[in-house]
Amino acid sequence: MSRSRSLMLTAAAVILVIVAINPAWTQGTPFGAPHHDAGITPQSGLMAWVFAKQAAFYRSLSGFIRASKDDGTAIWGLFGISFLYGVFHAVGPGHGKAVISSYLVANEETWRRGVVLSFVSAGLQSVVAIVVVAIAAVLLGATAKAIGLTVRVVETVSYVLVILIGLRLLFVKGRGFLIACRELISRPSGEATASSSGEANTVHRHDHGHNATTTRCEHSHDGGDAHHVHGHRGHDHHCHDHGDHDHHASAWGHAHGPEPAELAGAGGWHRGLSTVIAVGLRPCSGAIIVLIFALAQDLFWTGTAATLIMGLGTAITVAAIATVAVSARTVASRIAKARSGFGMLLMRAIEVGAAGLIVAFGALLLGGYMASEQLWMFTG
Amino acid sequence: MMKRTGCCAFAALLLSLSIANADAHPHVWVTLHSEVLYSADGTMTGVRHAWTFDDMFSAYALQGIAHARKGQYTREELASLAEVNVTSLKEYDYFTYARADGKKLKFSDATDYWLEFKNAALTLHFTLPLKASATAKAMQIEIYDPTIFVDFEFAKDKPALLSGAPPQCLITADLPHQPTPAEQLRLSQLDNVPLEASSTYGEIFANKILVKCP
Repeated sequence: MSRSRSLMLTAAAVILVIVAINPAWTQGTPFGAPHHDAGITPQSGLMAWVFAKQAAFYRSLSGFIRASKDDGTAIWGLFGISFLYGVFHAVGPGHGKAVISSYLVANEETWRRGVVLSFVSAGLQSVVAIVVVAIAAVLLGATAKAIGLTVRVVETVSYVLVILIGLRLLFVKGRGFLIACRELISRPSGEATASSSGEANTVHRHDHGHNATTTRCEHSHDGGDAHHVHGHRGHDHHCHDHGDHDHHASAWGHAHGPEPAELAGAGGWHRGLSTVIAVGLRPCSGAIIVLIFALAQDLFWTGTAATLIMGLGTAITVAAIATVAVSARTVASRIAKARSGFGMLLMRAIEVGAAGLIVAFGALLLGGYMASEQLWMFTG
Repeated sequence: MMKRTGCCAFAALLLSLSIANADAHPHVWVTLHSEVLYSADGTMTGVRHAWTFDDMFSAYALQGIAHARKGQYTREELASLAEVNVTSLKEYDYFTYARADGKKLKFSDATDYWLEFKNAALTLHFTLPLKASATAKAMQIEIYDPTIFVDFEFAKDKPALLSGAPPQCLITADLPHQPTPAEQLRLSQLDNVPLEASSTYGEIFANKILVKCP
């Protein structure tokens, strides 16, 4: 409890420190003309202030990129602003951290893995932006229209992957929830083993799942490389759940973190990888615009460095949010542990809810119901 | 105990929800000049816009556009991009919303459009003719992006002009007002309660042109 609380405090402190440092930074810049934020101070809404700040940082980027053409020292200013922009950009909107955090909550991941996954996805996001611009703009001399279209396609793939991952989790976690439900119903009857010899209906479902699990587990061992990463992760889950089910006599197979072997195993990292790829695939519009602007100034490499630093800033924020999400879950599960019946059901419900959220995000984004960064507003 | 568990679970879910939000950062800044057009009979016929994009977005839009001299683009070289611009803008109703005494007016497709490149920035000129010319005591024209991806702002110098209007008509251009406390609250909740694509929340930040013809 105290460890997770200190984690949360640390995460909060990191954000606060960054937030506190930054006004001092911007006041010295000649380009820090904030927009719409005359009346927006931290007192009148932190998010509104962050919103205005990140816009101001973004706008000042062009000045720094221009300046770094003639003035070697301006590049450090550019890198500093890029970093802050990354941090602030991620505090505000963005589906990446939503999906990653939901994934971590649903999947009972450790905060360490949450941090690593956050960094990998933010890094990948930067790299995708760089690769898109390098190939489309630098090599092919494509127009903004073509680049916008490319981003649109990549984005759609990303959203579809998010939905698939969410559905996968929903299926696995939904089963977990049903098992916990049955556990709770059977408990009052006084029989710990009731779940395996209870009502015909339930037994049928149980057996079905059990068989499927075994087959799939073997399958994944035999022909793992014939499967794409996504499927492999899913298989792992089946194995995990299966094991968990065996533990059910102890009523709390899930309470402790992943087994060390599970963490170390290759499959352990595969699990998170598909989420990271799905999220990181989608490049940030801002990064694409900055890169092309840098390219137009013959400063593509400067732009590349700035984009990677933005990614670093984003990663820190996403990691902090992921840490809070994981800590909240840890606290909840410790409390729930004390009441294994209802508590377990509740934890399963949270997992199902988090998995459902992932599907919802993916569907909303894909359907365009959530306002997205629309690079093609002017350029087709 | 159950209460606390419930609280924590609820907190975790709220947390997940609070980080789910729309990507509504402005990435395009537009400084605009607008002219309200009137015909000889004193009816309003349309709006003529000149929108200047910020330098980063200008560079982005110019990517891959063939041009003879480095750093310079002629109107002819930009003709195809101007075409793409107005075609794309159609889907967003040209971000222009007009009302005659409160009644919504409709615009036809943009005409007379061209791009000019000056001081590292692109300016898009285009005319939006009204489907049917209109008269009103109070004509209101708003320019805004409901999703806040594009940040519109009137130019400081002569943001709005009248062209051919009856002499008694007066034009005023209102910059987006300072958000009221309620709007401020909504703004700060933007990340918890994301905007729907159909949301007109951006209207708060609309640049308003008012033409009063008593």
